[in-house]
Amino acid sequence: MRRFGIIFAVCFCFAAISTHAAHTQVRLILSASTARPGDTVLAGVDLKMDPGWHTYWKNPGAAGLATKIEWQLPPGVTAGEIQWPLPEKLPPAEVTTYGYDGEVVLLVPLKLAPDLKPGPLDLKAKVSWLECKEACVPGSGSVEATLNIGEQTKTSSDAATIESWKSKTPKILTNLVARAWWEKPANGDTRPLIIEWSAFLKDQPPTYNIRLITEGSDFFPDANNDFEILPATENLSSSPLDVYWRKLVKKYEGDWPKEISGVIVTKSGNVRTGLEVKLPVSDKAPAVGKTILPESSAGVPPAGTGGTPALPLQPLWQMLLYAFIGGLILNIMPCVLPVIALKILGFVGEARSEPRHVRKLGLVYALGVLVSFLVLAAVVIGVKAAGHHAGWGMQFGSPVFVVCLTTLVTLVALNLFGVFEVTLGGRALDAAGGLASKHGAAGAFFNGVLATVLATPCTAPFLSIALGFAFAQKAPVILLMFLAVGVGLAAPYVVLSWNPAWLKFLPKPGAWMEKFKIAMGFPMLATAVWLFNLAAGSYGGRVLWLGVFLVVVAFAAWIFGEFVQRGRVGKGVAFAVVLILLVGGYAYALESQLHWRAPLAASDPTGSLKESADGIDWQRWSPEAVAKARSEGRPIIVDFTADWCLTCQVNKKTSLEITSVRAKLKSMDAVALLGDYTRFPENISEELNRFNRAGVPLVLVYPKDDAASPIVLPEILTPGIVLAALDRAAR
Amino acid sequence: MTLAANALAVEIGKSAPDFTATDINGKTVKLSDYKGKIVVLESYNSDCPFCNNHYKTGAMQELEKDMAAKGVVWLIVNSVNPNNPSHRTPDQAKQELADKKIVATAWIDDSSGTVGHLYDMKTTPDMYVIDKNGVLVYDGAIDNKPDPQHDPRTARNYVREAVDALMAGKPVPVAQTKPYGCSVKYAN
Repeated sequence: MRRFGIIFAVCFCFAAISTHAAHTQVRLILSASTARPGDTVLAGVDLKMDPGWHTYWKNPGAAGLATKIEWQLPPGVTAGEIQWPLPEKLPPAEVTTYGYDGEVVLLVPLKLAPDLKPGPLDLKAKVSWLECKEACVPGSGSVEATLNIGEQTKTSSDAATIESWKSKTPKILTNLVARAWWEKPANGDTRPLIIEWSAFLKDQPPTYNIRLITEGSDFFPDANNDFEILPATENLSSSPLDVYWRKLVKKYEGDWPKEISGVIVTKSGNVRTGLEVKLPVSDKAPAVGKTILPESSAGVPPAGTGGTPALPLQPLWQMLLYAFIGGLILNIMPCVLPVIALKILGFVGEARSEPRHVRKLGLVYALGVLVSFLVLAAVVIGVKAAGHHAGWGMQFGSPVFVVCLTTLVTLVALNLFGVFEVTLGGRALDAAGGLASKHGAAGAFFNGVLATVLATPCTAPFLSIALGFAFAQKAPVILLMFLAVGVGLAAPYVVLSWNPAWLKFLPKPGAWMEKFKIAMGFPMLATAVWLFNLAAGSYGGRVLWLGVFLVVVAFAAWIFGEFVQRGRVGKGVAFAVVLILLVGGYAYALESQLHWRAPLAASDPTGSLKESADGIDWQRWSPEAVAKARSEGRPIIVDFTADWCLTCQVNKKTSLEITSVRAKLKSMDAVALLGDYTRFPENISEELNRFNRAGVPLVLVYPKDDAASPIVLPEILTPGIVLAALDRAAR
Repeated sequence: MTLAANALAVEIGKSAPDFTATDINGKTVKLSDYKGKIVVLESYNSDCPFCNNHYKTGAMQELEKDMAAKGVVWLIVNSVNPNNPSHRTPDQAKQELADKKIVATAWIDDSSGTVGHLYDMKTTPDMYVIDKNGVLVYDGAIDNKPDPQHDPRTARNYVREAVDALMAGKPVPVAQTKPYGCSVKYAN
């Protein structure tokens, strides 16, 4: 008899605590084992379905039944609304339902009254659901859990599970920009609805503007007795920055709804994000020409560019302005300094020329810049058309390009040293008027091209936003944006050359100009050395042969200058020697020894990427590494950088690899992740796009709180900016 | 993908689309044959707990008897595809009719899903009421309690209401509701 009683009690216990219906197990878990009076504890109703079996969301869709929880709680405990994790759309398409596969934990906040007495509390609930695979079975079970009321909260062993399911519930973004309207009048009992939402959030200053992921997104409507938003979603978007859906609404009762609610779910890799929305439905589309984006930070409402069918959402004029300003700022970036020296030289050389001539050269320089930007734009458009990701500075990811540029820059330096001339006869600087204008023009054009090519390893404030915007657009916009940057880059010189009166204040041309010219060769030489170092990253020890090639080229340049240009006799022989040297040098040094078209594969270092013994312990960046650190509750600093990116190197030296930042990272137990963009890997391009950037540098700080979005740092860093961001992240 | 396909053939106030189907006795069933009578279409699958609840409690059989007494034609449409475990062969169906004491004019074997798709039947049960002139006057749930465990006799039955209104010459009070139940097991 007693044995029977024990068996009966054991079976009853099992039945009471967790219940197993035909294909679903249900149990109750709590976020804390002990809580204080007045606290809110998160309870989780954990439904585990057998493979192939589903349970349903709060709106089950065309069929099915939402899971119901009936609480039996002691006095002083109140249950709030169920927080439903993001559902899936379940097939078949004719009868689409919204539900869960495998497992779902429905979260319910339990509020504890402030006057609860210490001791154990029995929390019970009756859960009923419908589980379906090929057939449907109603299921139900009683679940129970004990919560202690005490003076100190103690997290339970299930707290991590509850946290992970909490991250799968939708968020409410108060600054989400979204709206809905009826596309047409009703056709019988169905009517098409347009839902539109923007990847840009309201009221975020542009530098900190994080783009929401919009690809792979869909809308899950809330249930309603009077109407149904049908499951099929037609995607009418023409840009990933602005989502534009058509959904059909079927009306059962009453008037057409004036408001719709539901969850927008977006997907990035394996991670889904849900945004709860409640949208008033207008009777007609918003007026053409108005954008969905709120006013720009300058307080001026952005103007649309008009046109149907896609609404113009991005303030194009604003982005063009940013591009122009970015181009202007590029003039003072270290990349372009060597070319500035050339320009100054050019101006000095023109000091005594007619103003008309000076103006013309200024325009030719600008033309060189613009043509180069057009070429860059064409390359970007071509790469994108081929389906790859394009990025700013991508040409530097090509070792072949780096070798060519190194050679070119070396030649320019040699030219400045006076080793050879680029004119056909005559000296480069002939201040006595009658200057072969062809030389001046060719030189000016070349300077423009060189300025553009050398500008790309640098980026500037405003430029990165403008480029991030541009790279996501269609071809004509990309062209426009690139031209705007070009105009900004060339502007100062055009302006200066337009009013050459100031040239009168320059010292008279004289022998000092020769010395100045030679002196300007040195910054150019420094550039060549920097490029050589870049090439070393792609060729390893073989880069020696690039050096050999450069020496051969220098020698050939001297022979050319000394015997062909300045010489009197044997010009033909000298020219032949030059050719032999160049061809031989190319064939032997570059082709056979350097294998310049076969650089080393991008190295895959595992483990730490520490630069020095007490440097920051950088690990390799990957989305998994980010997720892992976030789940461990550790703040993360991510540095997307490239060897050829001068701004990145400067940032690193001045604001990252410094004692104060190193110490702060250690004290925060932060994870440091390095994303190496040198060889332009596709996964980092994607990540940059996500933050609305087209190139490096990009430094992010992920806060400790894994619900908070990452802090995007500006392009040019100072120690103050980095430390302030780390402070925010530690909270 | 366009959503134009949803410009349904089936719409309240319009003629219900005609169909020619076979019942479990091998007889041909045509909707147009029943012009002059009120017709009720029921999307059926007794393995679905919602549908089964109506039969298990005896409420559906009662409704069917009442309807038959008023001269209403009751057509059961079973659109379960042949590969689904809930499929019924004609013999099994005949047995089921007898076992459950179902009173219906015909049980249409719609395992091809033709009638189901024609009427955009989504769930079991999903009900359609067609008036004497062949116009669709009701489309949707059988009653207002989407629960596999309620007593249907205590719920508001839209089918009964629609038929009573038609017979009294009054307008049907509720013409359309969201159907509930398990999804119709069409072939994939």
